[in-house]
Formats: sequence, structure tokens, C-alpha cells
Amino acid sequence: MGAVFSGLSRCGSSPSESSAEPARAVQQGIPAAPNPPRLVNDFAGVLGGRADELEQMLVAFDDSTSNQITVVTIPSLDGYDVAEYALELGRRWGVGKSINNGVVVLVKPKNSDGGGDVTIQVGYGLEGAIPDAYCRRIIDNEMIPAFKEEDYYKGIASACDQLMKLASGEISEPRTPEDPSGWAILLGFFLPLILFVVIVSIIHKKGGGNGMDQGSGGSSRPFIWFGPGYGGSSRSSGWGGSGWGGGHGGGFGGFGGGSFGGGGASGHW
Amino acid sequence: MKKSTWILIGVAAVIAIWAMSGYNGLVNKDEKVSETFSQLDNTYKRRADLIPNLVETVKKYTDYEGSVLKEVTEARSAAQNVTLDLSNATQEQINAYFKAQEQVGSSLSKLIAVAENYPDLKAIESFKDLQSQLEGTENRIATARKDWIEATKNYNASRRRFPNNLLASLFGFEQKAYYEATEAEKATPSVGDLFGE
Repeated sequence: MGAVFSGLSRCGSSPSESSAEPARAVQQGIPAAPNPPRLVNDFAGVLGGRADELEQMLVAFDDSTSNQITVVTIPSLDGYDVAEYALELGRRWGVGKSINNGVVVLVKPKNSDGGGDVTIQVGYGLEGAIPDAYCRRIIDNEMIPAFKEEDYYKGIASACDQLMKLASGEISEPRTPEDPSGWAILLGFFLPLILFVVIVSIIHKKGGGNGMDQGSGGSSRPFIWFGPGYGGSSRSSGWGGSGWGGGHGGGFGGFGGGSFGGGGASGHW
Repeated sequence: MKKSTWILIGVAAVIAIWAMSGYNGLVNKDEKVSETFSQLDNTYKRRADLIPNLVETVKKYTDYEGSVLKEVTEARSAAQNVTLDLSNATQEQINAYFKAQEQVGSSLSKLIAVAENYPDLKAIESFKDLQSQLEGTENRIATARKDWIEATKNYNASRRRFPNNLLASLFGFEQKAYYEATEAEKATPSVGDLFGE
């Protein structure tokens, strides 16, 4: 349910190569994360020269609240469900910060490839602040009416405006100048070695003995602590941290979250 | 201290570190399976919580008197009675759990199809909200389920691979069962393919 099928026929009219090999065409579908990172990615070219305006607005919002709203427009969904596409994109790009406060606004404009599709996908960390029903209202009331008039900037900008209002109502992550995770990983790698050498030398001084005693498993399965940060976290570190972006407006710091669970809403026109 | 003793200690150290990381890797993957499953279980609960409201709204704004409302309510309570303790569930129990949830899903699809016949109902803001919540929840279910299956497959594969298989049998990491998608669901393309995974 809810899968808005975009009835597209992948043929002729698109200027891209008409490769019969599906895997290749599919690969073209999802854009790689922008480098240097950007929040507004107008791959479909519907924002005209105003993408930078939007970018600055969203970067400022990211700077002040750490909530990341990324806007992506694409010319084709390659036959995929718009919500699934945006979710996967949010995960791969790692939209959001470590508390997963990212939002993906994906717009596939109405074009020769079929009808228009739009979705707002909300990261786990913002699901409380931006409920599905509100996403639906934003899509129905702000976006689709403007999109029908081909005014993509207006629709997207006012949607972002609403999303920012909702998102800023709840959580924000204080900015820290340095990301410690790199050191933690290093420490986690070397600490066990150092510890081991110490243990061995102690055993050696006591005159040997087969000191190594493996912890037995049992049903509770204790986690053998192996130093901080070693293997524990499954969180994608993204390309977070600061120091990015010299040249472009405002200097977006990069993504660093990416946990999306399917919250949000979609629309079709 | 003889040279050979040092070599022995070195080898023991390497083995110990290797065993620890292998063991911890299995623990992590095991945890991931439980974590993704409880996420899935939560999204099912979330859907179940929407149903009474949805049924009330349909009752309130339509003259619909068919069996679908009853079917939804019954499927919901049936599903709530099928709980699953994943850590020691048999394949049959897992199947029963998902069959019950699928029943809820298909009865809800029917209910939405019924609602399509009532333009007045569809125009009501609270119904639209409910419908979008339901859609969002279905998306969450699909995502959570995919994550869980992926985590389980990942765990199973890592458990069987050498040298983890030695550790797995030593510490009793068992192969985990999961529920395969039905044929209809398999037909839907996975967006993951886009990224070449």
C-alpha cells in the first residue's frame, strides 16, 4: 500500500543512452553523494539559478540546529518507488548527524519520463518532530499545488520552511569542534595489544603458566570488552566532521547520520 | 627465557586476539539481529495502534456495512495474540507470526480499497492523516523487515565462515531462522540494486 507507482516507460525520448542492459541503466539512477557535500542537489535542473539560495538557507539551518534537510531532484526514478528511493539515498549519503536528524526531500518532476513524484523521508531522530501526517500535509498543501504550476522552487522552499519549523521544535545536537571517533578507533586497536604485552610480561615474571582463560559463552553471551570503539558501533560515520567546503556558499559541513526507517510521506501528481 | 617460549607466547597472543575479535563479531551480528527484529516488531505494533482509529473514522463517515471492518479488527487482535520470542523460536512460530501480520496488512488494503468508494471520507483531513500514517508505517515495516532479513543473513553467513564456524560451535551460536518474503513481494524491485549491493 502507498507505493505510488510511477508509470514510466523507459524508452526513446530520454537523451541518455538507450542501453538494453538493465544493470547499467539502474546504476545511472542513483546519484553518488555530492563531493564537496551539498544539501541541495538539483539533478533534474528544475530550480534554475535558485538552488544556491535554498542551499544557503538549509546550511544556515544545519549550522544552527544540526538538523539536515537535503533536497534532491532527479529526472527519473528508474521504476522504483519514490519513498524507497529516497530512503536508500538518505542511508547511503548518511543524511543527518549522529542522532539521525536528517530529512530527504526527493522530487521527480513531471516530465517525459512520467508523472511527478515527491517524497519526504524523515530520519529516526526526527520522526517525533515531523510526523507522517505533517509530511503529507506539506506535500498536499505546499508542494503539489506549486509543482502543478511548474514552480518547483516555490514548492520546495515552502516545504523546507515548514520542515524547518517542525524540526527546530524538538531536538538539536550541539556542535563539537572535533570528531573524536578517529582516535577512539585507533585506541581501540592498540590498547588491546598494549594490554596484552603487559599481561604477557606479568605472566612471564611470575614464571609462566598458561594464563589465557577464554571467557565461556553460556546463554547470556558476555561481550568481551576489546577496547573502546572496537567493532561495537554499527553507525555509519559518513563524512562528518568539520573543515569541509571552502569555496561554496556557507560551507556545508557534510553528512554524518543516515538512519532512516521509512517515516514520512509521499505524493504523486 | 628461551626463544621458543617467546614464539609460543606470540602465537598464543595472535590466536587469543583473533578469537576475541571473531567472538565479538558474532556477538555484534547476533545483537544486530535482535535489534532489527525488535524494530520490526515495534513497527507492527505501531500499525496495530492505528487500526482502531481508522475503523472508527470509516464507521463515522460512511454507511459501509460490509465485512471488511470486522476482518481488520479480527486480524489485528489475532496478530496481537501471536507474539514471538525470536531467541528460541522455531521456523513454524516465525511463519505463524508473519502470517498473522500479513493478514493484518491484506485486510487493511481491503479497507483502504473500500474507502476509495467514499469520496467524502477521502476528503476528510483526519482520514487523510490516518492514511498517510498508515502508508508511513507500511514503509517502516518494509524497511525494518528488509533490515532484519539482511542482519540475519549476515549473521548466518559469518557464523558459517571459517574460522568463525569453530567459535560458533564452541560457544553455541546457532543458525537463525527468518521469514522469506512471499512471491508477490519478491517481484517488487529492491532499490538496493541501484547501489550495486
